[in-house]
Parts: sequence; structure tokens; C-alpha cells
Amino acid sequence: MTTIVGIKTRDGVVLGSDKRASKGFFIGSKIVQKIAKMDETLAVAIAGQLSDAEYIIKVAKAERRLMELRRGFSLTVKESTRLIANLAYSGLRNYQPYYVELLVAGVDQHGSHVYAADMSGAITEEDFASSGSGSPIAYGVLESLYNKEIKNEQAKEIASRAVAAAMERDPGSGNGIDVLAIPAIPREVTA
Amino acid sequence: MSDSGPNSGRFPFYGPQGRLVLVDSALEAVSRGSTTIGIKTPKFAIISSQIKPTHPLIEPSEKIFSIDYHVGATGAGYIGDILQLIDALRLEAQKHKLTYESPIDTDSLAKHLSTYLHNYTTYAVRPQAASIILAGADETGIQLYQIDPSGTFFRGAGFAIGQSSETALDVITREYSADLTQKQAIGLAEKAIEKALGEKPVVETGVVLADEKTFHKIPFGK
Repeated sequence: MTTIVGIKTRDGVVLGSDKRASKGFFIGSKIVQKIAKMDETLAVAIAGQLSDAEYIIKVAKAERRLMELRRGFSLTVKESTRLIANLAYSGLRNYQPYYVELLVAGVDQHGSHVYAADMSGAITEEDFASSGSGSPIAYGVLESLYNKEIKNEQAKEIASRAVAAAMERDPGSGNGIDVLAIPAIPREVTA
Repeated sequence: MSDSGPNSGRFPFYGPQGRLVLVDSALEAVSRGSTTIGIKTPKFAIISSQIKPTHPLIEPSEKIFSIDYHVGATGAGYIGDILQLIDALRLEAQKHKLTYESPIDTDSLAKHLSTYLHNYTTYAVRPQAASIILAGADETGIQLYQIDPSGTFFRGAGFAIGQSSETALDVITREYSADLTQKQAIGLAEKAIEKALGEKPVVETGVVLADEKTFHKIPFGK
């Protein structure tokens, strides 16, 4: 169930989600937050088992903060994604997989990044990505509206259009849209 | 062990002045090791170590070590202990790569080594008789560290450890400038070692470059 989307833009990243939590054919909640902010530069959109996702995010957030304190600068988006993927992979190998598919999106010194990480521990870097039961519908919208030149303002519109389309036809998605935009870090001015 | 006095029946970690006697002994061993230098500028860092002459038929031990593509290290003290610490650094670098899929930063390596060494100061074991000089390139630029047997570590632009290291450090302090070229820095390191030993030494050197983020050893005689 769920529809989540992530879009990489020229000036940051955008995440979008619906707000429905399904319990079989019953709507368990209409106000679920499926986008979790790790900090000001990184966020994760959740599809799948909410409890598993929350656990992974909680651990990754702690590890990320710890690393930032220890080495003096924070983890890149790729490093954070690999950390999350390693947790997912160890779950899979222990026959207790985390039932999640996550979109990890953020900005760092190397630019904007959107990664898709699933319960197998695989990660792929994408220009845009979608996950959850509504993703085939959302992808239709993303495929036709995305191009590499868009900025956060347009991506916010595209993200909500993609989620809205999925909500129209996917019974697992609905009850409103959340959008989060993260602006790129200004490039360090070299003297 | 006598059966009276403040340390009776216990392992004597602390000396009468409150110093850690085993750590002091380890530092003493380091100060008898080969003279070893680290110099850093914003563009590069070099690490140099004296190679002690051996028998003509025996190859001298390697003293400059690659930790990963972007980090190098050297040390003074017992070579067996140095090698153990080098391996701990290499292992940590690869662990970081597996966990985060990125090259480890120099600060994390220095802190890991510090923790590793500190462990040997809290139990009835022999502290490692080796100080390490570590040079690496990362997001924060070039970094140079010295890590001592106590676990104490320093970040800086110039270090000297081993035999007559005070003399060597004096030479470096007097002639250091952030504008040094790589060739000048290597020359300065050799001069410092020569001054410390009072004779022309055989020196092995390694270089970390900021732009390329790479470490490489320089073959004998450049």
C-alpha cells in the first residue's frame, strides 16, 4: 500500500507521499506521516511496514549523528543510504527481513541525490523514483513530466500530481498529500 | 611483589608520582626508535622515517605504510608493535568502506587508533611500544596526526618521534612554512633526521596529495 515519490532537481530534492495507512481493506489511519526527516539535509520516504521503517530510520539517524560528532562532518547521502541498506541486508540474511522500501533523498557537498533502498539491501541511485502500491501510476506521471532541468518549485508540483494520480486509482493510497523539499547546500566559496 | 605498601597484591599501574609506569616505559622505548617525521602543508603531507642500517645481507624493514589509497602512516618504536597498529588502521579503513561505501576520514582513523592504544593502558597487559604518525586526505583536506602509546593524539603541521625527536622537531619548527614545496618538505625532513642523529641517514618517505587525495611512497633517492 502507499504511494511515495522522490525527485532529484537542479537545486535540491523533493519527496512526496500520501497519508493512508491500510489494515487490509480497512483504512487504519488517514493522517500518517510517511516522510521522515533525518536532519536538515536528509529525509526518507517510507513504504511498507511502518514499524520496521521507523526502527531503521531511528538507528540510521543515531549512527549518522554519532558519525557527525566523531569525525566532525556529517555523512553524505550515499554513505547514509549504504548504512540503511546494510541494516536491511543483515535483516534479510537473518531470515527476518525489514518489510520496507525506502526512498532516501538529500543534499550534500556532492549535490542532490535520490536513492531507492529495499528490503534486499540493494540500492540504486535515480533521478526520480517511486515506491508502494501506487507507484506504477505515479511512475506514469513522473515519466511524462520529469526532466533533468527542473527545480524544486516545479518538482513539488510534479510530486503532488504523481501522488494525486495514484490516489485516484490505487485503493491503498489516499487521504491527502505530503510534500517535502530540501534545498541544495550552497557550494563552498573557494577563496 | 612485597606484601606491604600501597600496591601490595595489586598490579602496579601507577608509580609513586601518579604516573602510569607501563606507559612511561612504552614512551621510553619509542624515544629509542628510529627518528620519524611528519610535515603538513595545505597541499600535501609527507611522512619520513629513518631506516636503521642492518647487516649487508639483510633487507631493512619497511617503515612507510599505505593504510588505504588516501592515507599513509609511519611509526617509531618496536617494529612488531608498529605493524600491529598499522594492521588495526587498515582493518578500520576497510570496515568503514563496507559500512558507508566511502573512504574513511583521517580523524576517524586517529581516534580509532587512540581508543585501541588506550585499551592497553587499562589492563595488566603491555602497552604498545610505538608512536604512529598518520597522514591522510579527506573532505576536510590534508590532516596529520601523531598518536602515542597512551592513546593521546595530536593534530598538527609538524611532528617528530623516535630518537632525538626534540632536536628534529626544533629543526622543523624553525624552518617550517605553509608554502613549502614537496621537495623542500622532504629535504627538511631529511635534514631534521640528519641533525637528530648526527650523521647522514637512510630515509624512507611517503606523500599524501590534497588534490588527488592519494598516498604514495617515494622510492629511495627520489
